[in-house]
Amino acid sequence: MLFVAPALALIAAFLVFPALWTLYLGVLKYDLAGSNAAAPQFVGLGNYRDALTDPRFANSLLLTVAFVGLSAVLGQNVLGFLLAAVLRDAASWVRGVVNAVVLLAWILPGTVVVFLWQALLDRGGGTLNALLGTPGAAWTLDHPLATIVAFNIWRGTAFSMLLYSAALGAVPRSQLETARTYGAGPLRTLRDVVLPHIRGHVLTNTLLITLWTFNDFAPYMLTGGGPDHRSETLPVYVYRTSIEGGALGYGSAISLIMLIVNLAIALFYLRLLRRRSA
Amino acid sequence: MAGIGLSGVTKTYPGGVTAVDGLDLTVHDGEFFALLGPSGCGKTTLLRTIAGLEQASAGTVSIGDRDVTRLAPGQRDVAMVFQDYALFPHMTVLDNIAYPLRVKRIPRAARHDRAREVGAGLDLADLMARRPAELSGGQQQRVALARAVVAHPKAFLFDEPLSNLDARLRLSARTFLKRLQRDLGITTVFVTHDQAEALAMADRIAVMDAGRIRQVGTPREVFGRPATSFVAHFIGSTPMNLLDATVTGGRLTLAAGTLPCPADLPDDTRVTVGIRPEYLTYSKDPVEDALAGTVGIVEHLGSSSLVTLETDGAAPVGVVVEEGAEPEPGTRGWAVPRPGRVLLYRAGGGDLLA
Repeated sequence: MLFVAPALALIAAFLVFPALWTLYLGVLKYDLAGSNAAAPQFVGLGNYRDALTDPRFANSLLLTVAFVGLSAVLGQNVLGFLLAAVLRDAASWVRGVVNAVVLLAWILPGTVVVFLWQALLDRGGGTLNALLGTPGAAWTLDHPLATIVAFNIWRGTAFSMLLYSAALGAVPRSQLETARTYGAGPLRTLRDVVLPHIRGHVLTNTLLITLWTFNDFAPYMLTGGGPDHRSETLPVYVYRTSIEGGALGYGSAISLIMLIVNLAIALFYLRLLRRRSA
Repeated sequence: MAGIGLSGVTKTYPGGVTAVDGLDLTVHDGEFFALLGPSGCGKTTLLRTIAGLEQASAGTVSIGDRDVTRLAPGQRDVAMVFQDYALFPHMTVLDNIAYPLRVKRIPRAARHDRAREVGAGLDLADLMARRPAELSGGQQQRVALARAVVAHPKAFLFDEPLSNLDARLRLSARTFLKRLQRDLGITTVFVTHDQAEALAMADRIAVMDAGRIRQVGTPREVFGRPATSFVAHFIGSTPMNLLDATVTGGRLTLAAGTLPCPADLPDDTRVTVGIRPEYLTYSKDPVEDALAGTVGIVEHLGSSSLVTLETDGAAPVGVVVEEGAEPEPGTRGWAVPRPGRVLLYRAGGGDLLA
């Protein structure tokens, strides 16, 4: 007990206290400025009622679900798996180059990546417009959701690729070859041999990238949540209401709702994982 | 059913390693054929090339009267049983056995009936609902065999089929495999590094070394008249005596004595004399035409013992002695070859002369 005390103290100070503080703030009408900053008013579950009836919150939740589903669950997962599967049989130098490029996107700081993407998507002199021959196309304004989805796939695929590379290496070669000698094609082999072997990896990976993407704030740096709230995912919404809008109590309440959604997602995947071992 | 023909098959891996080198071989229809050799001799590569899991760099592979050199494994109509059996861990025994039929899109009920029928023939009827992890090694092997049988291929390819079983089970599995192959009459090629296994099971054996075939023959031929001193050394549970000798006046002069020369060779020809320890008779009294030495080590083999006669400065001579007749270490002893069992090889690892 004595030896874990420092760790427990740190956890209490930086994890438990903020969580409880958020819980406390969530039941207050507490603003960044004005009379409610000096003397916060107790409103009970008022903030939660407001959030759940706010169309802007509903829009944000829906956008987040679309963002997570398209960019993480589908995009990063499928692309990461395909890259890992294709690279498995590729020449070693191809594997090296692709690994390096994909990993680079993963290890670069978010702000740097966003800056690169702004250069890519820029309306005036952007690389994408030059490549496609569409001068003046405003990607972040016309397709804000598609932009952040593509951005997040580009940025996060490396993790799935690495995880699936390791998982595929654990599928016994003799089982793949048995399926082949009996005439099973690639898709059937994938379904009958590969996926059952890596099911646990798929679930773990999907859980991790779902949570990361759900809480990802990088889209804000690319689109600022706009235009017209069309790329305002929940983390962005929290930032805009509580920091830009000054409604700290309301923002805390939404944060807590996010936490509950995260927990629900984690529990759902963990249940699926447990069912496998049963 | 069909024979297997290989002509000029070469397999060179990227990086320049030649695993199989210009190899010709015919396996007859319905034959139980062993590819035997030390590790790294290319036997597994050859088997995988027949299966189509490796693409031959040169030469042709035919199964029946069909050239399959460029065909994918699934189109060759062969069934392979791997060393680790490669059962699918998430499927029941029934689904594992029925898998080849599932790939062929045979309806569920029909393929399960067929799988049950084959499984029952291999004594698996009570295990159909289990997963592979709940089976013993011998049972797993039978499931892998049942899966191969269900596919009803033109040929079976077995990669070290017995090496994952413990010693006692291996003996019964040997008998079982041989009976199964004879009953089905399907052409079978199996790879092994164990010469006893090859001698016991195969109709014919190809002994391989360094990517080439050194000898093809029946177990009796390969054991009795090995074509090269490599084969002579490799085959037999007690290694063959390979002794340097010179021909002098129609006799062989060895370090341990002189023997009559079984062939007409000019004087001063240097040869290697090959005699199996089983084909030497031990005598504790001096005799004519024998190899003499001092008894060194006596190893018990069960119903017999292997006696090693030390000769001065030259290679020791092994003799198999009946149980109860073992000499005392340190005494003098003589070994007399049985008539017609002395083989002569060209000196320096060469071919059979006589």
